[in-house]
Amino acid sequence: MSNIILTGVIPEIFADRKDLKSDVWNTDLRFEQGKTYLIEADSGTGKSSLCSYIYGLRGDYRGKIELDGHNIKRFSTNKWCDVRQSQISILFQDLRLFGELTAMENIQIKHRLSKIHNKRIITAWFEQLGIADKINTRIDHMSYGQQQRVALIRALCQRFNFLVLDEPISHLDDRNSDIMRDIILAEVSRQGAALITTSIGKHMNIDYDKRLSL
Amino acid sequence: MRLIWKLLRKHISIFELSVFFVANLIGMVVILGGIQVYSDIKPLVAGDNALIGNDYVVISKPVKRLNSKTSFSVDEIKELKAQDFTLRLGEFTPAQYKVYGGLNIGGQGFSTYLFFEAIPDEFVDVKSKEWKFQKAKHRVPIIIPRNYLNLYNFGFSQTSEQLPQITESMMKDLELDLTLSGGNRSDKFKGKVVGFTDRLNTILVPQEFIEWSNKRYAKHEEVEISRLILEVENPSDPKLLDYFEVHGYVAEDKPAESNKALFLLQLGVGVIIGIGLLFSILSLIILTLSIYLLLQKNIDKLRTLIQIGYKPATVATPYNAIAIILNASIIALSLWLISKARAIYIGFLAETTGREIEGGMTVTLIAGLTLMVCFIIFNLSIIRHKIVQISKRQ
Repeated sequence: MSNIILTGVIPEIFADRKDLKSDVWNTDLRFEQGKTYLIEADSGTGKSSLCSYIYGLRGDYRGKIELDGHNIKRFSTNKWCDVRQSQISILFQDLRLFGELTAMENIQIKHRLSKIHNKRIITAWFEQLGIADKINTRIDHMSYGQQQRVALIRALCQRFNFLVLDEPISHLDDRNSDIMRDIILAEVSRQGAALITTSIGKHMNIDYDKRLSL
Repeated sequence: MRLIWKLLRKHISIFELSVFFVANLIGMVVILGGIQVYSDIKPLVAGDNALIGNDYVVISKPVKRLNSKTSFSVDEIKELKAQDFTLRLGEFTPAQYKVYGGLNIGGQGFSTYLFFEAIPDEFVDVKSKEWKFQKAKHRVPIIIPRNYLNLYNFGFSQTSEQLPQITESMMKDLELDLTLSGGNRSDKFKGKVVGFTDRLNTILVPQEFIEWSNKRYAKHEEVEISRLILEVENPSDPKLLDYFEVHGYVAEDKPAESNKALFLLQLGVGVIIGIGLLFSILSLIILTLSIYLLLQKNIDKLRTLIQIGYKPATVATPYNAIAIILNASIIALSLWLISKARAIYIGFLAETTGREIEGGMTVTLIAGLTLMVCFIIFNLSIIRHKIVQISKRQ
């Protein structure tokens, strides 16, 4: 069973703050495979920082983060590539799609690393999320809400033990948000993974195993 | 890979790559052309197998009056050997019998008295597999000074309509009829020219043959050594010149001249190759900057690719491909250009010098491939360095 353990983790910039009250920072916290977590926070409390720390993009924190007992600060670039290909998948808050590629090309460029789904499943997700007609549209010609859905599909196109979603529905209406939730839960449960999702207010209607306040 | 290429090819500046291509092409043509010209001209200037670096000086004593003694004594040779400037010393052993040689060129017969000498093999600047006396077959290999052939071509042949001009390789195919006589014996031999020397102003035969024939045909056994060949680091060394002056030795200056020409050739080619290298290094800087700039412009995309799980090596592939294709085509094109240019100048060179240009483009090819490998390794390592830098955690 895969897990992520945070021990006394706190961003460098918060290190001197005495009044910090958080379920995440400066505590011991454990994310386990197969469970769902919601991290609620106000803006500027380090939500995206947490995602970046877990995903190995930034290292400006104190304390220790372990993935299956290994300190992630010691991971090499190639080890991170393996982790990002098969253990942790992320939906970035700022999406990080390639503007000059089409929606489908953005999916393919990720999916060719693992090839875990057949094309039918991917097309079905486009249809369910209401963007089937945008498959061959360049990303920079799509609205932010549409891009957000493409980024979600991309995040699902790999093997993972942890799916980290940074404000996944910030630009979606309730209907699309529910569709997205259903797709996410189905895939998370199919892969037996953990779901870690962040929110600054609006969040998917899920019966989370744990709700944490940042 | 198609998508990666589609993503990363943006910002590739055809102009920058063209500047690099042209500049490096010029540099390469100059460097490799210099090497090619050098290897083509060197044998003309320095003899077939001249040892670069050290020089050779042939010394003798001047003839002062009729029957003056011009041979070196054993003590004199010993003293010369002990001098600092002497690296090696070889003795000229003269044939002490009569040699009569005949040659048939284009139906015209030639015959004259000849004179043979021998020196130890390590001083002979012509290397030939045939340089061996075949006693059983009565065949003697001969090396003649190159200017003897010139003397024939521009002297005899010019003044007589029946005598054709002959090239070195034609000369090598001719057989000389030799008659050696002395000590109440006279025998016929076949002589064959196996090479031409620039270093030695004499008709050379193998040492082994001279020793054998002197025993057989010579009247007296004592061989007098009148000429010596010295290998020295610098023939203009004042110590050496003083020594010669004091002892009354005279140096033949012909070999020094040829070494001077070789030195000038080396200097000239050195400067040309230096300029070529400068061009190539500058062009390499252009390519390096161009690749850096390209990576910098694509930095967000590269970072995102690595963030979604791509390995730095995979992301580097399109840039590596550009560097390899560019460098390889530059080398291929410059070798092609040089081979075309060589085809033109080699004919001209053969015509003006009356000599055949031996050898091919192997040295240039090896130099070209070595440079290509170095350039590619350099390019690939800077690409790798930059991408590893991009993929580091912030």
